Amino acid sequence: MKNTGNQTQAQRPELPQGFATESLKTIAVIAILVLAFTNFSAVINFVVNILIFIYTFVGKNFGIAIILLTVLIRLVTWPLNAQQMKGAKAMQDMQNDKDWIAIQKKYAKDREKLAQEQMRVYREKGINPFGSCLPTLIQFPILFALIPSITYAIGSTPLSILKLSNSLYSFQDVASLVPLNSKFLWIDLGLPERTIIFGVGIPILALTVALTTYIQSKLTMPVSSTPGDQSAATARMMSIYMPVMLFLFSVNYASGLSIYFVASNILSIVQYALMGKVNWRNLLPGGQKS
Amino acid sequence: MRKKFVFISIILLAAVFLSGCTGAVAWPGLSASGDVAYLANTNTVYAVDAKSGKQLWKFSGESSGGIFSFGKSPNMYITNPVLTEDGLVIVLDSSSKHIMYALDPNDIDLEKQTPNIKWKFSEVKGLWIAPPLVIGDRLFAPNSDGKVYVLDLADGKSEKQAIEAITVSESAKEEARLWAQPVTDGERLFVTSLDKSVIAIDLKTYDVLWHKDLGGAVPGGAALGADGMLYVGSLAKQLERFDPVTGAHEPVLETKGWIWGTPVASGDNLYFGDVEGYVYSFNTADGTLNWEAQPDSAITASPLVYGDQILVATESGGVYSFNADGDFDEWYKPADKGKAYTTPVMAGDFVLVAYLESDYYLVALDAESDEKWTFSGK
Repeated sequence: MKNTGNQTQAQRPELPQGFATESLKTIAVIAILVLAFTNFSAVINFVVNILIFIYTFVGKNFGIAIILLTVLIRLVTWPLNAQQMKGAKAMQDMQNDKDWIAIQKKYAKDREKLAQEQMRVYREKGINPFGSCLPTLIQFPILFALIPSITYAIGSTPLSILKLSNSLYSFQDVASLVPLNSKFLWIDLGLPERTIIFGVGIPILALTVALTTYIQSKLTMPVSSTPGDQSAATARMMSIYMPVMLFLFSVNYASGLSIYFVASNILSIVQYALMGKVNWRNLLPGGQKS
Repeated sequence: MRKKFVFISIILLAAVFLSGCTGAVAWPGLSASGDVAYLANTNTVYAVDAKSGKQLWKFSGESSGGIFSFGKSPNMYITNPVLTEDGLVIVLDSSSKHIMYALDPNDIDLEKQTPNIKWKFSEVKGLWIAPPLVIGDRLFAPNSDGKVYVLDLADGKSEKQAIEAITVSESAKEEARLWAQPVTDGERLFVTSLDKSVIAIDLKTYDVLWHKDLGGAVPGGAALGADGMLYVGSLAKQLERFDPVTGAHEPVLETKGWIWGTPVASGDNLYFGDVEGYVYSFNTADGTLNWEAQPDSAITASPLVYGDQILVATESGGVYSFNADGDFDEWYKPADKGKAYTTPVMAGDFVLVAYLESDYYLVALDAESDEKWTFSGK
């Protein structure tokens, strides 16, 4: 810390410019999240209207509409995802930083002091510890709203159509939209999908969700050169945990949501590939060790 | 690592919780015969003694088998149960299992307190939304797959086969969802469809006699007026009058909003509501509007003719009483919350109203609109 000779200035903590900006971003994200969740029905209505608009535009095909909505969400959140990748990379690089390793060893038994020192290192290097998760957090209102939106939009009961009519903005001609076409390929998007094979209902779409989630998490998992790297261990754990969770989710929810998950996973791989961050070798047995 | 595991678990749970913000997906079905009311609510059908409000039996059907069950989804009963002349109760599982059950309430499994299944039928491809219509020994069941299934009620086989499936619309199979109970004039069966059409079927040959377009989806059923004509409301905000023989039709009334519920005929008058909350009285004898009035919120239920009153349930949960001149007052309002989308019914001496998003499923009201009992399925 510089000593300017000015008492007031000397007492004020000196933050790197980047860190101050990141803090403002954190506050902005929290404010947006609070606003979104206190007006959650408005967020749902917004997503429903976009979905219905696309549905009308593509000739009443909800499967295509959901895929295009996913593309749209991916495009809108592209900068956020890029920032998340950058933040994750910075946090990973930090694991190899000499200062960082030193304070981990030095204050291993004093958690409070360790936390203070970690914050100091973050400040000095201009890293926001929330930098990798804030872009993800800001997408949550949209992701959460997608579930009820898809349920509303492809509802197959009288009440869901009535609710849909209340959700749509005045420029949408609901009467001409009814009945909504919930069929896409062999799937009724308003219901959990099961394909009967030899008399047994197999959730093919849910299995596809699990498979694409696994592939996506494997391909986008960073290669770690540090033994015992905690973030790499978490990533490995998540590559198992997420496919299982999303499979259970997809088995029970409207299959329209599964279409979103599959499309989102594929687009995520595409985005990582375009940014040169896909690790194809991760898919090979033992590929991650190399 | 554990922290991150907990964090992601919380996020996923939050997603599930927030997805519940959509609320219920369907309103309950309700019917009555004598002193017994039949309520189809979410995943159970209840038989309730209309005098006391006590549950007589309940039926849940085949188990969904939990979240790991492949090929099954949770049961969903939303369609008005239908009574046959020989005492069977026809209930429809509106989930992806597509099962129609014929229950025998005279044959109760004492251990489970549930009626035994006389037969069941599931050879359909769409959801059951419309209550079937019993005509003699036949059951006419419209399905969301665009077909009307005709079943022989005299057959007591456990796995019932439809004797005929009438495809009402080949051109728009995906859109021809049949959501309303058909109506008959004794010679013809009139079916309404979300593909914006009304269809007449010959009851002897099952031939489609005519198929007419309305310009708006028809979620409700048709009503036969005292003048012998057929009246149908639609999402095109019009009441149409049909010649039941030829299918020739013309709009007779413009409405403020979508007509959802089936109109009800009483003498020369036809009563119905719209989703803008208006109630209409239409004179079928001279083709003029008697009156229109707007109590409060959206109306999806059909009115109930109750003595010299017309009772109308609204989305806000209120039940309004109209006289012949269109004057109305709030007849009943639930003390707490609750939405009324289902048509009220008479059971014994009481009017029964089914509620959604309420502390109770059903309330019984006497002639003074005093609550006699409530039923919450517990």
